[in-house]
Amino acid sequence: MISKEKSQTKKQPTFLNSFKKATIGFVSLLPTILAVVGLVSCFQIYVTPQMLSNLFGHGTALDILDGTFLGAISSGNGAISYVVADGLKTQGVSMYALIAFIMAWTTLSFTHLPAEASVFGVKFTTYRNLLTFLSTMIIAYLSTITLGLFS
Amino acid sequence: MKKLEFKGLKFLAFVVLLFIILAIFDFDNISNVINKFAIILYKIIPIFVLVIFVTALINYLLKPKQIMKHFGKDSGIKGVLYSLIGGIVSHGPMYAWYPMLEDMRKHGLRFGLIATFMYARAVKIPLLPFMIALFGLPFTIIVNLYIIAFAIIQGKIIDILITKPPK
Repeated sequence: MISKEKSQTKKQPTFLNSFKKATIGFVSLLPTILAVVGLVSCFQIYVTPQMLSNLFGHGTALDILDGTFLGAISSGNGAISYVVADGLKTQGVSMYALIAFIMAWTTLSFTHLPAEASVFGVKFTTYRNLLTFLSTMIIAYLSTITLGLFS
Repeated sequence: MKKLEFKGLKFLAFVVLLFIILAIFDFDNISNVINKFAIILYKIIPIFVLVIFVTALINYLLKPKQIMKHFGKDSGIKGVLYSLIGGIVSHGPMYAWYPMLEDMRKHGLRFGLIATFMYARAVKIPLLPFMIALFGLPFTIIVNLYIIAFAIIQGKIIDILITKPPK
């Protein structure tokens, strides 16, 4: 009876042990995280908002596709995507492209793909990103249509 | 105690190589890239601390059986709701949350709920006033409602696509 209680007490992790375990788990992913930050830094320097704005105005389907691709290759704080999208709006870029751009910026990231695949597996990463890509385009289309209904 | 095994060393080596190539061929910009790297890292360090703390707290408070109950195969609507809320309130870049999600996945977290969590992160609560100011209230409400709906749909589809055979 006593030995059973003892073994049960032994199994209960202390917060310190849980903290150590969490720290080890995090540190083991540090190379991946540093690599992603490195790639994101490169993209933020080499892909400028001016480069992004030159690619729109070729019809709804292409604008949505362009917006999705550009959002996916860009990275940084979500607020930056709003500022860029607002700038694109003043340049007459369609609402379809703007929503696709904002959505892709916050949900898709080509620079994160290797890290995601190494943590969750290639199968999950492929399915999730394909679904996210499709969702982004559908949301861009549906949101613009819905907005049209209310304006 | 869990053993320390580094992941993504080849990926890091590739990025280091890219930096070296940039340093050789575009020396002017490499200092900007390194500066950016330092700024991003400095910004996300507090998030890393938060992630380690949250992971430790989950490990300490929730036993594997409880994680299975809330986020496992039979978690139902509650699991979806928790993942949605978790995704919406989580801050910082997605990769900062990988260690926590990986840890929970080892304890039975469904892939569908990871997908829901990741997509729900597109709803950025701190940025909502900014979004309203730039694009208006109807835009903000409509886009964010669609994000939530598609986060749930994606989770369901992922669960259908990735089903592990029962042991």
